[in-house]
Amino acid sequence: MSGATLHRVRIPRGATPVVEVGEEVRPEQVLAIRRRAGPARHVRVTDLLGRPPGQLLAVLRSRPGTLLDAGEALARDAHGREVAMPFTGMLLTVSPADGSALVAPLGEEEPVIGHVHGKVQAVEPGAIVLEVPGVVLRGVGGTGDAVHGELVVAVHAAEEELRAGAIDVGATGRIVVGGSRASAETLTRARAMGVAGIVLGGVLDKELRDFEAIQQRRREIGGLTGSFGVLLLEGFGKVGIDPQRFAWLRSHAGRTASLFGADGLLFVHGASTPPARRTLPRVGERVVAHRRPFQGRAGVLVAALDELHAAPSGIPTRMGLVRFEDGRLAPVPMANLEATLAGPAAS
Amino acid sequence: MNERPVARDAVEERPRVAAEMTLLVDAGSAWTKAAVVARSRGRWRLAAHVAQPTAWGEAELRSSLVARLVGVVDRRVADRLPELLAVAPRISCHTPRRAGRLALGAVSAELSGASARRAAESAGWTVEVSATADDGRSLVDRVAALQDAEVDAWLLCGGFDAAGADQALEMASLVAAARGSSDAPVIWAGAASLADDVALLFEQGAVTVVDNPRPAPTRENPVPLRHALEDLLQRVVEPAGTRQHTPVAFRRSVSQLAASAGRRIVGVDVGARYLTWAQADESGSAESRVFAAGGLAGARLAGGGPGRLARWIPMLIDEMAVADGLQNLHARPATLPQTEDELAIMQAAVRHQLAAAADSERGEMEEGIDLLIGAGRSLAAAPRPSHAVQLLLDGVRPVGVTQLALDSSGVLPPLGALDDSEIAEGMGVLRDDLLVPLGTSVVTRGGRPGQVVMRVTVHRTGWPPIGPLDVRTGQLQVVPLARGHEAELEIELLQGASLGGARRARRMTAMAMGGAVGLVLDARGVPLPVPRRPDDRRAVLAAWRDAVVREPAVMTLDPSLVGER
Repeated sequence: MSGATLHRVRIPRGATPVVEVGEEVRPEQVLAIRRRAGPARHVRVTDLLGRPPGQLLAVLRSRPGTLLDAGEALARDAHGREVAMPFTGMLLTVSPADGSALVAPLGEEEPVIGHVHGKVQAVEPGAIVLEVPGVVLRGVGGTGDAVHGELVVAVHAAEEELRAGAIDVGATGRIVVGGSRASAETLTRARAMGVAGIVLGGVLDKELRDFEAIQQRRREIGGLTGSFGVLLLEGFGKVGIDPQRFAWLRSHAGRTASLFGADGLLFVHGASTPPARRTLPRVGERVVAHRRPFQGRAGVLVAALDELHAAPSGIPTRMGLVRFEDGRLAPVPMANLEATLAGPAAS
Repeated sequence: MNERPVARDAVEERPRVAAEMTLLVDAGSAWTKAAVVARSRGRWRLAAHVAQPTAWGEAELRSSLVARLVGVVDRRVADRLPELLAVAPRISCHTPRRAGRLALGAVSAELSGASARRAAESAGWTVEVSATADDGRSLVDRVAALQDAEVDAWLLCGGFDAAGADQALEMASLVAAARGSSDAPVIWAGAASLADDVALLFEQGAVTVVDNPRPAPTRENPVPLRHALEDLLQRVVEPAGTRQHTPVAFRRSVSQLAASAGRRIVGVDVGARYLTWAQADESGSAESRVFAAGGLAGARLAGGGPGRLARWIPMLIDEMAVADGLQNLHARPATLPQTEDELAIMQAAVRHQLAAAADSERGEMEEGIDLLIGAGRSLAAAPRPSHAVQLLLDGVRPVGVTQLALDSSGVLPPLGALDDSEIAEGMGVLRDDLLVPLGTSVVTRGGRPGQVVMRVTVHRTGWPPIGPLDVRTGQLQVVPLARGHEAELEIELLQGASLGGARRARRMTAMAMGGAVGLVLDARGVPLPVPRRPDDRRAVLAAWRDAVVREPAVMTLDPSLVGER
């Protein structure tokens, strides 16, 4: 969880890397340049050569996807007659019905940004691998883009819900640590206020889907700008962040963090070792439970029961007795428990 | 298996009692199932089995097995069990590390695209991105979407064999543009007449031509494409060999069982990541589908099926809670449902995934099947056998007379990983322990609503006949028939009901084998009809559940039926 982590930044096909192996990179640094195809234009290739449409593929000089300079031969027949590329661009597709080729100029340069501090380890086809000297927290889900920004905490307690009112202009460009959930309204407001990303213990799946639907509609009508990511650390539903983890995040407020919503990752740069997690906890260890009715609650494993016992669902399994932090003692399937270990990562 | 090395301790001076044992391990993406097969009084028997989250590791697995074995082994070897297990021969299989990722280009989303997608998703691939000529996007947006995706291979299809289609060639050239200089393989599974033109769009040797899965608007031919994609998956994603892959090994086991028993068998293994459907005929000839998004953490569930799933839950659970429950299954597949509500959500997901797989295999099952085997932890470790029976019947809807069984100890996949020369022997020596019989189902299709559609008399040797029992459309009845017992069924079909296949006779006889649940007479039809009103629907679902659960045979739960002992 701590030390250097290898992080793979995917670059779309056709993008050109602009960094080299060994180079140090910053979160906002451009790693590759991409130029999408612009509006396509028909070139009536076979008409211009006086050939039937069915001979289009026979006269084409390049395969689709090839970049051609203005004036370069797009097609040539057996008599040496040529159809030239009308501008610098890409041969996009062919239409055998009318013997035309669709060519497209390349659009503006679009940067591919890594969003992390690190050192370039490798430049592979389709990806740039970075060695990131930060700490990484792995979540259980998320949505949205890769973003980076200063880490801020917007709730007072791990189990508190992140309200829309807690998001103000001060959060613009930052990664906001919320609590146990956020509504679609809060997420929409955060995005509108320019928040880079939100870290939550949990969120209702419906709220997340509503938020995604709103973003999709805004994208379709062209009103969506900037990037935004959401990361879930514990689970779906109203689930507080484990208090140990929350305290660690709070202690690192002000540091640069990188959030990868779709991949469920949060890098915190220059951070101390975070509380670690380990499956199969031992008696006496602090644990966090993962399924209802104790989802997200922390406690201490006071006993691991011998033999198999039926959970309330009826499934026979290995059970542990947990003294939760609210004082309740309850049997929980061992498979649903993780030890939470402060300090160096567990084995 | 007799030739396997004997685990001994050679250090002791005094001769020590040896133990012959073999470890069978199926390492899943979420759960690992392990069983110890040991020789006892000259016979190989299943001595113990456990299931635990894969993340718990090897040492814990052995320790759990030792704990199970201590009570049953010879006292003279009890204290040496850890070392005996450590050196015991091991037969293992594992879930493939990931599914293949495919980009799909097709002319029509509904015709060529749908056929290709179905073939791909049942061959262990996921479709990461698709572009079709009718998807409403501009050419530029299609190219950008195809460029963005990270894929292992490209699948192109479109055009009918009799006609071809210029649009198919346009789509192929668009894919060629997006693929650029990538060396990922390309499969052309479109109109045969366009194959040469498509090959010209890519570098030499990049394109493999496969039969069109949609050769005509009203005809599908998915098998050649599925086989080509299975081969490609092995080459591209798992080049080290696939016999040890659980889906492959499971198919081999089902095939061997079918050949040795001379029966038509369907095996369904619902895992965290994949759903494997293996079907074999009497000769042992087997086909399997690996539904890459068919497991409990499958994308199909996560992608927004809570409303559909909630319809199949016999208790009132908020749809939002169902959605969260499904997402948590996806996020933490190695955890267990702790509450009844969570169990109901998980079982609804199992039923949904089985039904989705069965729908695509309905044609193959038309002639009926003799034995339906459930595997995977969600079925094998169901709290009661009646749960497993209900999941199998509701999900698969095996029309006809079908014996039902569970691979409760998870030994079928590891045994399928044995060499060709050993698999028959391995399964033969364990024949009594391989499967837990659940009983026999008689499932009808059709019939007039509310009318008696099936009249069944059960004849057992030495016992008075039961019945005739009248079963109405929509009803489910269970008749006690214990494990090891056999009965002859006299079945009369009424009101246009049928048992599928070519059998159109109104009266017939069939043999039924008993099991943990018994004989299940199921006249609910195919597909399962449920009322629209939520209250009525829940009442009907609860009645079906209670009809199976009330069966007396399940009142004392056989410990061998659960995943862990």
